[in-house]
Amino acid sequence: MNTIWALAKVVVLEMVRRKDFYVLFILTVLLTGTAGSVNLFNDRSIVRYLKEICLLLIWLSGLVIAITCTARQIPAEREQRTIFPLLAKPVTRGQFLLGKFLGCWLATGLALAVFYLFFGLISATREQHWPVLNYLQAAWLHWMMLGVVVAFTLLGSIVFAAPSSNGTICFVVSVGILLLGRHLNKVALDLAQPWQSLLYGVYFVIPHLELFDVRDLIIHNWELIRWEMVALATLYAAAYAAFFLFGAWWVFRRRPLN
Amino acid sequence: MPSLPLLLSALALAVAFAAGGRLLLWEQAHRQDKGSVLRLLLGESRRAFANHVFLKADAYFHQGFYPSVFDAPAPVSKTHLAEATEEAHHHDHSRGHAHDRHRDWLEAFGCNFQPAEHRHLEGLGQAREILPWLRLAAALDPQRVDTYTVTAYWLREQLNQVKEAEAFLREGLRANPDSHEILFELGRLYAENERDVLRARIVLELAIAKWIRQEASLPSPDHVSYRQIMGQLAALEERAGNYERALAHYTRLHRVSPNPAAVQQRIDEMRFKSAAPVVKPP
Amino acid sequence: MEPTVAIEDLRIEYRSRDLGEASKVAVNGLNLVVGRGEVFGFLGPNGAGKTSTMNVLLGFVPPSSGTARIFGVDVREPIARQRIGYLPEQTYYYKFLTAEELLRLYAGIFHIPVAEREARVGAVLKLVELEHARNRQIKTYSKGMQQRVGLAQALINNPDLLILDEPTSGLDPLGRMKVREIIQRLKNEGKTVFFSSHELGEVETVCDRVAILHQGHLKAEGRVTDLVAQHAANLEQVFLKLVGYASQS
Ligand SMILES: Nc1ncnc2c1ncn2[C@@H]1O[C@H](COP(=O)(O)OP(=O)(O)O)[C@@H](O)[C@H]1O
Ligand SMILES: [Mg+2]
Repeated sequence: MNTIWALAKVVVLEMVRRKDFYVLFILTVLLTGTAGSVNLFNDRSIVRYLKEICLLLIWLSGLVIAITCTARQIPAEREQRTIFPLLAKPVTRGQFLLGKFLGCWLATGLALAVFYLFFGLISATREQHWPVLNYLQAAWLHWMMLGVVVAFTLLGSIVFAAPSSNGTICFVVSVGILLLGRHLNKVALDLAQPWQSLLYGVYFVIPHLELFDVRDLIIHNWELIRWEMVALATLYAAAYAAFFLFGAWWVFRRRPLN
Repeated sequence: MPSLPLLLSALALAVAFAAGGRLLLWEQAHRQDKGSVLRLLLGESRRAFANHVFLKADAYFHQGFYPSVFDAPAPVSKTHLAEATEEAHHHDHSRGHAHDRHRDWLEAFGCNFQPAEHRHLEGLGQAREILPWLRLAAALDPQRVDTYTVTAYWLREQLNQVKEAEAFLREGLRANPDSHEILFELGRLYAENERDVLRARIVLELAIAKWIRQEASLPSPDHVSYRQIMGQLAALEERAGNYERALAHYTRLHRVSPNPAAVQQRIDEMRFKSAAPVVKPP
Repeated sequence: MEPTVAIEDLRIEYRSRDLGEASKVAVNGLNLVVGRGEVFGFLGPNGAGKTSTMNVLLGFVPPSSGTARIFGVDVREPIARQRIGYLPEQTYYYKFLTAEELLRLYAGIFHIPVAEREARVGAVLKLVELEHARNRQIKTYSKGMQQRVGLAQALINNPDLLILDEPTSGLDPLGRMKVREIIQRLKNEGKTVFFSSHELGEVETVCDRVAILHQGHLKAEGRVTDLVAQHAANLEQVFLKLVGYASQS
């Protein structure tokens, strides 16, 4: 555990010292700020469109941060040959992968915390109320979802050679699931037989990232999600992340390094 | 206002991502012809996109609850939002999404994480939240008349922003000088909110003239609009005490009304009042 | 007593990525024993298989056949690496860390208690003369300084066996001398050093024993003095002869 933690810290430090995160955050602040300064029918209390834009930017930034951070980890270790002095120490490959996963996940969590704080500020200035628990639920679910994304990006970075193609694939897959995952079963019902079962199978196999997207609930100030449902969703994400991490370990465990 | 285009693109992006999945599918499912996707990508894209944005406003009206194409059994020709404007009865289309009709456990589970109940924006001017989307829809497709009339309705009726409603309708009129719908909405604003009989009369009579030029010769003219304009005009004159004019309008309305008995009652009343000497207020 | 490094019948093959191409045999039938406290020079021209052998010793590459043991433990076990220090052939370290942070990270991996950690970090930094730069990010270091960071990390756990892959390549004469000094010092402390090189001068001065590898085969092995006596030539001539380069003289 100490080893995993030590490796994770390096990843977090890397994110803190690189510019990507700051660029995305400042971009989000600027875009939200300009959107908020627009005069719409002389009404300063319109807020939901602003929450929508801000959350959209947060979701995009979250995906970009999680995927780019994770996709470059192992290729960079190999390219810069830092993996050699590391694995020459009493570190198993499993610990190495877990450390990378934990680091990327914590780093994205840190980024999310900053983003959601900003979101809270924006909506509080306009709405004069601060539903902390709702935001906490949304941020938590978002973070759990990104855990799954980090895990499969890590697997991808071992399976696919080029980090850029892995990043692109993971991004397209994540966005695809977020937009369409919910509807695959209904699309399947309209298809002819072999395809119907096939698509239904895909529907059950893919990680339903869109479940974790509760933006509509906080944009429109709905009530809290039931906590046991949040717990279930957390378990759901943990199961998928574990599955992808196991896959990554299985592929990486005997892979020659050179 | 230099940041308006930026805002509009940000909102457009939001639609593309947030609702893009369901709305795009909605589009494809309801336009069965094969050419539609191409048209969507080319010249028509702006217009199609404006439709999505309009649907987004509708989703906002329902506090984010919006059944996808697969849940709603039949394509709705007019959005719920537009229907609300016309004060048609609210049919509750949440039944397609009711909790006991899930196809599988994933769907049932997913319901906990999205608005899954039919709810409208209400209370202290919450309706204002749909305005940015309507603004965007107008920017994307200035020829879409619905946008202006719906926006003006909400501004005027729910938010008490008559000045803004008038300005927006005038903007719509510049883009669609021949629209009797916009003229009607503008006339209604002058008549009901500003009590400006003169301007209301001019605008509403212009609306009738436009309607006649455009619709009268069609095989199936839009009688609903005609009745609305005529009814508004007659009520205006009646309130102003011009019973003879009101009588004339009610008579024209009588020919197309689905409820001629009620109109006949108004006609009789007008006959009676116009025959009686006009009592000037002291 | 267990030898520190024991290699038996080692064969290393690289499976080629392209279909139809025969796999490449990098090392074949290698037997080698390095005793405790020895400084062992692993010689061979480029491509002889030195790095490949070390990769097996560190568990990076599985052997195709044969075994390799360190302190009597099969190299596939991570625990075998607890008492090893390794300096790769050419390495860049996490550029965004400072030397101090990097060494702390590695100290953590070796489970060096926190109380001892700072002392160890300070000691190795002093040994490689990087104290003045300990709080600067590694990306600001010169090549020689980076090589010294490498040496520092190899020493962080006070290892009993050091595996150094061409530790002096790419260094200027002063840097080489310092590395030689460090090897000498480690030897005096009773450590085992297993290092590869094709710089024969330095090998002659610090090594107890050498092995000469050529195209994956062991050509000679023994004490430097024995080899020189046996072939009646200096080490360089012996080396050139064994790798098949006909001497002009
Ligand atoms: N990943 C690899 N794939 C295929 N062949 C390799 C690989 N790594 C090394 N080789 C080959 O194995 C042989 C030994 O290489 P190496 O051990 O690096 O030599 P040295 O370190 O002695 O210079 C060389 O012929 C080299 O081309
Ligand atoms: Mg080498």
